[in-house]
Amino acid sequence: MKTPLPNGLDDLLVRARPPHGEPPDILRVLHAVHDLCGHIDAQLIPAIAHSQGVTEAEVAGVLSYYPSLNTQPVGRHRVQVCLGETCFANRCDRVIEAIHTKLGIDLGQTTCDGRFTLEPVSCVGNCAVSPSVRIDGELHGRVRPSDVPGLLDRYR
Amino acid sequence: MNRIRLYLSNDTSSCAAGAERLAEAWRSRSDVELVRTSSRGAFFLEPMVERDSPDGRLAWCQVAPDDLPRILAGDGSVPVSTIPFIAKQTRHTFASFGATEPLSTEAYQAHGGLAGLRAAQQVSPAAIIQEIKTSRLRGRGGAAFPVWKKWEVAATTTADRKYVVANADEGDAGTYCDRMIMEGDPFRLIEGMLICGRAIGAQAGYVYCRQEYPTATAGMHAAIRAAEAAGWLEIDGRRFSIEVVSGAGSYVCGEETALLESLEGRRGVVRARPPHPAQSGLYGRPTIVSNVLTFATIPNILARGGAWHASMGTEGSRGTAVLQLGGRVKQPGLIEIPFGLTLREVLDQFGQGMADGARLKAVQVGGPLGSLFTDAQLDIPICFDAFAKADAILGHGGIVVFDDETDMLELSRHLMAFVADESCGKCVPCRIGSLRAREILETVQAGQATEADLALLTELGDTMKAASLCGLGARAPYPVLSALEQFPVEFRSRLRS
Repeated sequence: MKTPLPNGLDDLLVRARPPHGEPPDILRVLHAVHDLCGHIDAQLIPAIAHSQGVTEAEVAGVLSYYPSLNTQPVGRHRVQVCLGETCFANRCDRVIEAIHTKLGIDLGQTTCDGRFTLEPVSCVGNCAVSPSVRIDGELHGRVRPSDVPGLLDRYR
Repeated sequence: MNRIRLYLSNDTSSCAAGAERLAEAWRSRSDVELVRTSSRGAFFLEPMVERDSPDGRLAWCQVAPDDLPRILAGDGSVPVSTIPFIAKQTRHTFASFGATEPLSTEAYQAHGGLAGLRAAQQVSPAAIIQEIKTSRLRGRGGAAFPVWKKWEVAATTTADRKYVVANADEGDAGTYCDRMIMEGDPFRLIEGMLICGRAIGAQAGYVYCRQEYPTATAGMHAAIRAAEAAGWLEIDGRRFSIEVVSGAGSYVCGEETALLESLEGRRGVVRARPPHPAQSGLYGRPTIVSNVLTFATIPNILARGGAWHASMGTEGSRGTAVLQLGGRVKQPGLIEIPFGLTLREVLDQFGQGMADGARLKAVQVGGPLGSLFTDAQLDIPICFDAFAKADAILGHGGIVVFDDETDMLELSRHLMAFVADESCGKCVPCRIGSLRAREILETVQAGQATEADLALLTELGDTMKAASLCGLGARAPYPVLSALEQFPVEFRSRLRS
């Protein structure tokens, strides 16, 4: 039996079909699916491949290549800690340690209650006011380990 | 009631430093008119609030929400023009930063915007390229290739379509000037792309912006819409479309051929060269791929002449260097100065030395692939040739200062792990070499390595330098091997006895 597609995905894939004579754009459609669903389930690969007129392997290849395309659901809040060299120099390891102490998770993990996912990010361009932590798109600079508990408490 | 106009930066780093908190606190005040501008780049002073005065802008630095009364009373300000970090710079590309509203087409033109494009419209495409040749501008993304040579190749190659691509995949950790341009002065990038488009005969442009820059992406989208509405997006009466395309977290997509693969929606894998993108790039058509800062430098060159640009800097590095200072210094921020000052002078004059209580251990210039400098090596002039001679790179101008608490072995592992993660996998030296090098460094950390492992690390590094397909693998060994050379005790004391 065919797995039903998430709401709105059918339309999205129809709209994402390349116009006649135009080349496919796998990354663009993956971005769109990611925006809609929050992650890209591997089960969607055949439908995405069909919409672009490419092989499933090509879609799987692009999907696995790009670090910011998640294939698993993430927590309600994405906590991204910058690991760029400026943040390294300004001791982002202590910030990660403080997050670990507060939430009990390491980089790449999600809390049991699905509230937070902790992710590494390589430079958010906030080097002059580092170390940097981005939570759901909100960027925090000059983060001290002692700021971490209060910061996380703002996200339920 | 008379509302007092206050200027507050809207830049990502200013907001992260607290500007957004001020805006939230003061938004509903009936006595304040808040104008959100670009940032001056003196980030150690952010959040910074400015007011107009007969003698130019006045600034209040490191402001908290309850500082508003003294700002409204006019107490405790400093004239912006007397802040040494700003006064000692030679701002050309970044001249209007801090003064203008990023998305105002009127403000852009009032500060000299479009003068370069108008000058370019008065002359032939060949004359534009000649002006760039006279300017001796070299690409600011890291490769430092003469810009006019690329343009000439693309201009003289016959094709049904040609493209202009702004590389906004500013992935080098420690750099943020492209982000600042896209957020703070996006029309300057658009103007540079239009001039390039006219010079080579292109019909369309793309801004490939990294996904880690959501505010810059949104700013570029808005700026393109505003430019379109103002009728700017055309060349000789024909439409020149510009589109923003998002990356997806891959560092190697900052390499121009990997970027083109990604722009076509595929895996961002490096292409073998030749052919170079200027001959055969996006969809096999002649394509100029240049860094955002390079395009942003072009308008002034056309407006003021190539000779003006060539009059600044050193023999091989003309114009201004845009440096981004960060790490354990007192005054991190953006610095635009003519090429030629030494690294030590930059750290002393602009960085004002180390942060309180910190002592300098090493300085990395040019991102995660850049060489490390010790205190004894800081008298190197900031220019492409001196850095090339020292086997170092200026890269995109990022300077990261590490203090004496830094574990150089862990930093080396961190850098090599980054390369192993980011390697596109196309060539073996980078794909396998970075992984093996990381493993060796982890073995040293675990106290299980011997001298033979360090010898293998050096040999592996030499192979990666010589045989990698692009700069990622070829440059990755430099910081690690320079750490091993400069701080041997930190590695050797951890060997198995």
